[in-house]
Amino acid sequence: MTTRLFQKLRLRTRSLFERNRVEQELSDELRFHLEKQIERKIAEGVTPEAARYAALRELGGVAQIKEECRDMRKVNFIENFLQDVRYGLRQLRRSPGFTAVAVLTLALGIGANTAIFSLIDAVMLRMLPVKNPEQLVLLSYNKTKPVEGPTGSGYGNTSLSYLGFERLRQQHDVLSSIIGFVPLGFSPESVAVNIDGQPSLAGGEMVSGNYFTGLGVPAVLGRTLTEEDEDHAARVAVLSYGYWTRKFGRDPAALGKRIALGGQPYTIVGVAPPEFFGVEPGRAPDFWAPLADEPGLTPWGVQPDNGQSPFTAKKWWWLMIIGRLKPGVNQAQARAALDVWLRQSLTGDVGLSQAHAQAFRAQLDPAARGLDNLRAYFSQPLQILMALAGLVLLIACANVAALMLTRAQRRRREIAVRLALGASRGRLIRQLLTESLMLAAAGGALGMAFAGWGARVLLLLMSGSTSLPLDVRLNLSVVGFAASVSMLTGILFGLAPALGSTRLSLSPALKENSSGASQTGRPPRWRLGKSLVAAQVAFSLVLAAGAGLFVRTLMNLEHENLGFNAHGLLLFGVDPTQNGYKGARLVTLYDRLLDHIRSLPGVQGASLSAFALMSGWQNDGPIAVEGGQNKADQNPTVLWNIVGPDFLKTMGIRLLLGRGIGDHDTSASPRVAVVNEALARKFFGNLDPLGRSFTLGTTSFKLDDAYTIVGVAADAKFTGVRSEAPITAYIPFSQVGDLGMMHFEVRTAGEPTLLVSSVRRAVRDVDSNLALSEVKTQTQQIDEALLGERMFAQLSSFFGALALTLAAIGLYGTMTYTVGRRTNEIGIRVALGAKRSQILRMVLGEAFTLVLIGAALGLPVALAAGRLVATQLYGVKASDPLTFSAAIAMLLAVAGVAAYLPARRAARVDPMVALRYE
Amino acid sequence: MKPTDLVQGTLDLLILKTIALEPMHGWAIAQRIRQISKDVLQVNQGSLYPALHRLEQQGWIKAKWGESDNNRRAKYYSPTSAGLKYLEQEHSNWERLSAAIDLVLETS
Repeated sequence: MTTRLFQKLRLRTRSLFERNRVEQELSDELRFHLEKQIERKIAEGVTPEAARYAALRELGGVAQIKEECRDMRKVNFIENFLQDVRYGLRQLRRSPGFTAVAVLTLALGIGANTAIFSLIDAVMLRMLPVKNPEQLVLLSYNKTKPVEGPTGSGYGNTSLSYLGFERLRQQHDVLSSIIGFVPLGFSPESVAVNIDGQPSLAGGEMVSGNYFTGLGVPAVLGRTLTEEDEDHAARVAVLSYGYWTRKFGRDPAALGKRIALGGQPYTIVGVAPPEFFGVEPGRAPDFWAPLADEPGLTPWGVQPDNGQSPFTAKKWWWLMIIGRLKPGVNQAQARAALDVWLRQSLTGDVGLSQAHAQAFRAQLDPAARGLDNLRAYFSQPLQILMALAGLVLLIACANVAALMLTRAQRRRREIAVRLALGASRGRLIRQLLTESLMLAAAGGALGMAFAGWGARVLLLLMSGSTSLPLDVRLNLSVVGFAASVSMLTGILFGLAPALGSTRLSLSPALKENSSGASQTGRPPRWRLGKSLVAAQVAFSLVLAAGAGLFVRTLMNLEHENLGFNAHGLLLFGVDPTQNGYKGARLVTLYDRLLDHIRSLPGVQGASLSAFALMSGWQNDGPIAVEGGQNKADQNPTVLWNIVGPDFLKTMGIRLLLGRGIGDHDTSASPRVAVVNEALARKFFGNLDPLGRSFTLGTTSFKLDDAYTIVGVAADAKFTGVRSEAPITAYIPFSQVGDLGMMHFEVRTAGEPTLLVSSVRRAVRDVDSNLALSEVKTQTQQIDEALLGERMFAQLSSFFGALALTLAAIGLYGTMTYTVGRRTNEIGIRVALGAKRSQILRMVLGEAFTLVLIGAALGLPVALAAGRLVATQLYGVKASDPLTFSAAIAMLLAVAGVAAYLPARRAARVDPMVALRYE
Repeated sequence: MKPTDLVQGTLDLLILKTIALEPMHGWAIAQRIRQISKDVLQVNQGSLYPALHRLEQQGWIKAKWGESDNNRRAKYYSPTSAGLKYLEQEHSNWERLSAAIDLVLETS
């Protein structure tokens, strides 16, 4: 058997690599046969001439037998393929213009899709680069009834009890590798770092000792953290590869170096691998430190209200936990075991009743792709973008298909000759498809280059001031995607022309003259070419209308009245709690900083607030108003901002009644507040709100006393541009118990960024250890808030323009070709007295008919697509007539330009030349 | 009478049987089959060569170039050991088939 296999292999390789010899042998063998046969006939007494003829007839067609013998070699398809490729290359080289347009068109389409796919891959599809990611689960809880639960900090239900985590680690029945981790702040840069005397900010996480070993992530330099590190609360840190690169230039000497994290000395013991960004896509820690009760580092950067340590506060939950499901344990079993564990923490630590705790259920979510915050935020926008890009690719396909069809019409004679010479139709289709696939492959390769660049641009568009830490380099799945898309497009645009152009009746095709002009009017397959143009127009309309909607959304948002003056404002954050400032000392520090900044030249005013407006951050909670009535809302909530003196004036928020918060509102003076008009209207109607008081807070979190309303401000938007101005209260920063990080607002008449260096100096003069974070202008802050909308507007405009360009090329190509084929007919018309203008109108009319048919087909699709993205729009209806008419008008304008050139050419046809054409 | 067309698949069997005795080139194989069957079986020369090439590619027969009469070079085919086994198997299959057909024809 093995010898048989060996022989087969030997013959196959011989047929492939010694093709000439094998062919020679085949010829020799058949020639020998013929000679013997002729000899024999002659011996039987036939004349040599007749013998030869008889022998040939008995054998049959030599060429056919040879081809049959070749088929037996089983490597024929490779040979044919190589032949097709060589032939295809020659054909494509013969028409470089066509090839260039087709490849470029496809490259743009494939590139756009691949770029968006590489982001989808990074955000939504890619597994964490850890060992057996599919085993990972993220723990959280949900409630079957709306009951009050534990308080704490974090993303909500994924924040679990640290004390509970200690207990869970002792159990090993359903989970293995139980890993706890917590970011050290909400913003990407929240920990004060000091490297060689240089203060800066970084993002870090505290992790249990088994974090790296449990995930199966090794160190590329030094070591990772160990359980002993956690047990002994060792002050050691593992740096991310990116941070090591940024801060130490990948110097191995960083190992063993001491740096200050949150004011405490830590030793760098290792560096994580470059592809490891932690377990939350989009949030890449700069360092990891052992999970321990440290004075400098606080989980989420937030202390429990009662002043306790987060590590001992029983009711304050903040730790995120992931683990690996043990083999043989299913979800239901694990959930049941974790329910018991969860309720134990709820009754034992939080102090809930048994019945109350029954409303809580443990939840296990697959964490193979990490935490899904980024996914939740970007998955819909990315899907919309993918759909837009898909449409562009379809247009590109239709465009190239139309080009191929035109070309195939020109090659009718060639194809007819080959069919007549005995080539099978299947063989010719294969040949034509090979050409399409070659075009697609070239387009795909070029598209991949575009994609690498496009993905980086996209990432920039998606990132705010801090770039999203996502790895969008080409990887296997992205390359695979591009390759399959290329293949698919190759078949998509190649199949119809290949089938159409090989189905022809031979004799008229052969009779055509070399220029391809036919005597029998238009070729039958020509309807396909026109439908392709109409389809392109339809898709372009969808894209153009979509772009219009997104651009108008962005414009509406940019011109939205925010209720404050965003121009000429510089923003920055300072977190002195990182440097040990607390209570009264902190208030004094903020006052001093404010004084210093106000006295800077060019500064017209300055204030500070807990949240910068339009940053997306907010604090909300229940409000109880004395003497205020609102029957409709039994549990009213309010947004509050903790602000410094002159906040309203600095921000340019109009004061309607009473006074604003000033320097004289101190911790010693009576508690006062300013509310906005919406709040006053809601609770007091037409009554005078001044002098009334209210309290804020929940049962577990109280802002101490009642605040007396001393002023009413005009409504101003708070969290974002889209939402209506919420009911808002402004509280003096000196009058709240627990103060944390604050954001400064500095107003200037000039360009705000020019103040940055003097502001930095002013802060350093007060305390050289203070680091500034999130330094930006208020307009930049708004731009960031409109990031998604801007990305949509820019990308959809780009895709729309691309689509229109492609459609224009398609229309131009098709009309040029039609005019070329009808030169004869047009010549006759002119000879019979048709005016040039009539000819012009005829051709233009034909083009516009195509465009209008396409637009009629595209309009319902565009309307339906508009409804799909309605949630992304602002201030414009999904069926906005103005946008849609503008899109159609633009389409007609582009079509006019594209059709005018061929129409003019038609009008200039010289009847004498045209009639002599044959 | 027109020479009987070969039943599909029996050509392989005939070729293998013919060259089992000694290596032969294509023309001789066709002649031999015709002689032995007393002109009843006439191999269609057009299908002989593809069949030979197929059997070779499948590893049932092997080929060697050798001297023919008048010092001409010809391609000689002979069965491989696997081919001989295949012949045996096909032969018994054929016997079973023809016996069965005989049986049906005689009884009905």
